[in-house]
Amino acid sequence: MSEHTTLRMEGILKEFPGVVANDHIDLSVERGEIHGLLGENGAGKSTLMKVLYGLYSQDDGDIYLDGERLDLESPQDAIDAGIGMVHQHFMLIPRLTVAENVVLGEREPATAFRSDAEGSWLPATVRNNSLVQSLAGQFSLGLDVPEQRIQDLADQYGFDIDVSAKIWELDVGQQQRVEILKALYRDVDLLILDEPTAVLTPTEAERLFDSLERLTDEGLSIIFITHKLTEVDAIVDRVTVLREGQNVGTAAVSSVSRADLAEMMVGREVLFDIDREAVDLGDPVLRARGVKATDNRDIEALSGIDLTVRQGEIVGIAGVSGNGQKELAEVMAGIRDVTAGELLVNGEDITGAKPKTFVDSGVSFVPEDRLQYGCAEDLSVMHNATMKDFRDGRFGDRPFLDYGELREYAETLVEEFDVRGVSDVTETNAGDLSGGNLQKLILAREIYRDPDLLIANQPTRGVDVGAIEFIRETLLEQRKAGTGIILLSEDLDEIFDLSDRILVVYEGEFVYETTPAEADRERIGLEMTGGDGDDETVASPPQSGVTQEGES
Amino acid sequence: MNVAVNVDAREDIPVWLAYGTPVFTVLAALAVSAIALVVLDVNPVAAYATMFVDTLFTEFGLRETLTKAVPLILTGLAVYLPLKAGLFNIGAEGQLVAGALAGTWVGLNVSLPGLALVPLMFVAAAVAGGIWAGIPAYLRARWDVNEIITSLLLTFVALAIQSYLLRGPMQGGTGNFPQSERFSEAATIPELFGGVHAGLLVAVCMVVVTYVLMTKTRLGFEITFVGSNDEAAQQAGMSKFYVYLLVFVVGGAFAAMGGISEIAGAQGRYRAGFEPGYGFTAIPIALLGRNSAFKVMLAGLFFAVLFVGGSSMEVAFGVPAALVEIIQALVILFLITAEFFKSYRVGIDVKRGPAETPAQPQRGDD
Repeated sequence: MSEHTTLRMEGILKEFPGVVANDHIDLSVERGEIHGLLGENGAGKSTLMKVLYGLYSQDDGDIYLDGERLDLESPQDAIDAGIGMVHQHFMLIPRLTVAENVVLGEREPATAFRSDAEGSWLPATVRNNSLVQSLAGQFSLGLDVPEQRIQDLADQYGFDIDVSAKIWELDVGQQQRVEILKALYRDVDLLILDEPTAVLTPTEAERLFDSLERLTDEGLSIIFITHKLTEVDAIVDRVTVLREGQNVGTAAVSSVSRADLAEMMVGREVLFDIDREAVDLGDPVLRARGVKATDNRDIEALSGIDLTVRQGEIVGIAGVSGNGQKELAEVMAGIRDVTAGELLVNGEDITGAKPKTFVDSGVSFVPEDRLQYGCAEDLSVMHNATMKDFRDGRFGDRPFLDYGELREYAETLVEEFDVRGVSDVTETNAGDLSGGNLQKLILAREIYRDPDLLIANQPTRGVDVGAIEFIRETLLEQRKAGTGIILLSEDLDEIFDLSDRILVVYEGEFVYETTPAEADRERIGLEMTGGDGDDETVASPPQSGVTQEGES
Repeated sequence: MNVAVNVDAREDIPVWLAYGTPVFTVLAALAVSAIALVVLDVNPVAAYATMFVDTLFTEFGLRETLTKAVPLILTGLAVYLPLKAGLFNIGAEGQLVAGALAGTWVGLNVSLPGLALVPLMFVAAAVAGGIWAGIPAYLRARWDVNEIITSLLLTFVALAIQSYLLRGPMQGGTGNFPQSERFSEAATIPELFGGVHAGLLVAVCMVVVTYVLMTKTRLGFEITFVGSNDEAAQQAGMSKFYVYLLVFVVGGAFAAMGGISEIAGAQGRYRAGFEPGYGFTAIPIALLGRNSAFKVMLAGLFFAVLFVGGSSMEVAFGVPAALVEIIQALVILFLITAEFFKSYRVGIDVKRGPAETPAQPQRGDD
């Protein structure tokens, strides 16, 4: 322990029924450093940070900040001590302005109750009464805001935010900076960022990293939770790796290799290269001709797509996000109407049919947004594991449903696909699972029904290394079993590793087709951004975020 | 002396609190109502003794309670079922009236033996109630029109139709009252036991039907899923349109059965204003019992006790009828408050000593 140490967590123990989430973890963070907290989903990173932020109280162990022992009962205590946290899901109120959101957490009482307020209609004796003060502090809210002060603060750290703008007008990257601003406004010395890049595009992530470096220059310490090794390399000074609730080690990033870190995280060697056996292609499972569709704002998102997928074939669709991938996946899964064209699954025309027809025809779908289309977070793992198959005859005769069978089926899925964090399939809700485990559950549900066509949209986004490996292998196994797979991914490496055929989508059209063997990455990068590969005059390099994305 | 109030979210709810809340809630509501009683110069203990002991331990009280419980349970189910699919049926009152009118018409105009006529009246009521509830459901399912508003407003349409019919085509009996002709023997719901009509049997059956529907069938699985995440449900091939329509139509049929039970079982004829807003009381009943159809039944019985006990108190002590409504309203208010105490821990710190400067953080100010 050096004199620069600002935070020390010693022997933190946190148990949940049936699970030891943190098993006597030690962690120390030095002033002015960016400290990475690396681990698979469910390794205990979030729990440890929730203990530090006062959301959970530890069962054992102590927390010291600048040598002083902290007793944190609520986030308010943590903030008072100088610890701030930016959650993965933003805690912002869209209708309020940036400045109002920033002061929201301060819980200033309404003006009338403030002891120093001028012209309040309440007499001073009432306002100064301590009971009135404390009730007003809990149950009233002042939204008159020192906008200038907040704008100055934003400028100081180089955040280009207009503090009088409403939150809903901002993009995700800006919203995240508002979250950081909220913490800075409360004078924190230590900032916890929970997987901050999960919601950002590569360019936005770059900007975030710049901002973070500025913060550490000002003397702040940052704990950066992540499971992406590339990010550790890019930004972190020292890294602590957690596995199954235990601290596996802390190291300076410059002294360890990526492979070492991956092994520490997963507990075994991680294969970044996947063997892809040759599989004979069968009959076409999907034939789409001239498909057009609009997005949620009624603007054309797909302008005439032709796509054939055969049994045992993985068709990778590459593209910069927002070029029609979401709509393409939804059209193929039957949950978005086509405005023109036709869809044939196993030779049968099911254009315009109900989602149920698609499900019954053997189409499986792993949606991009797990919480929107993929699951019902307030329902149990059992409900979610059987949400497509409950109609099947083995779960009892119509109209009845055998919940015992459902439960058994769900337990099989959880077991075979190694979904962790489930204590009882009927008690644990889907929303309680970590991202990677939820994704495994969804994949399990979609694959266990032996689909003819599987549409996987961003199947590995936001999941940890171990789960990525598992998911990719599962997709390849499914290919071997004769399923036709459409893989949409922003991760070019993933597309290259898994696909038999690569299509590049740009502004709702396929602009380029190739195979991984003969593909030229630069060309694909160009096509993704709308550059014409044949045109020699367009020599600008592909956007950095497009080609350098990826894990390996 | 310094007093500070802290409010923290609870991590988990202690068992005693989860089970104790309904009891504390009722006790607290009664305690506050006692103030009103004292002001009216009524001994609250005696009043409450009349309200509960006389209701629960006399034959008259029990009979009245069980009779009143029939429409309360059925309308409670009418709100409960759509609630499971994530919809608010605020118009159970209108569905009850529509069903009661249709059932009454059949009862007065069809001549059949009782064994066939009474079931036919129930069917007619259920169809009318189902249609009445189907309108807001269709509008919601097809065009996303807010069902809270449409179902509520349709209640007033139903009440206006009732008014017209009872002053016009369906008016009967002596005098010029807004009421129908008396039912014949055949059109009256037979007695089940001790003066309680067979509508109770219908109510209990419907509770069982709802319970089985929600916990043992595919349809119940779909309703639960649509209620939790309708987008995921549709992706999985479930039909939101069908589920929305079904829960409302079945709910409307339940409310309608409650209406015709009350008319043909307890009243003997259709009187305008025959019922004190069962369809609206159904909303707190369904919210109280939102976890299971059997809890809806319990909540329905509890509100029946409040209704019956309230009127005995009214008679025995001469307190205004409004007071009973106050007690009912307080129970509901305290229940909502209890939800807050269930989710938050409230601590009060009292520190003796010199008053500090108010502990408001000053950092945020210029």
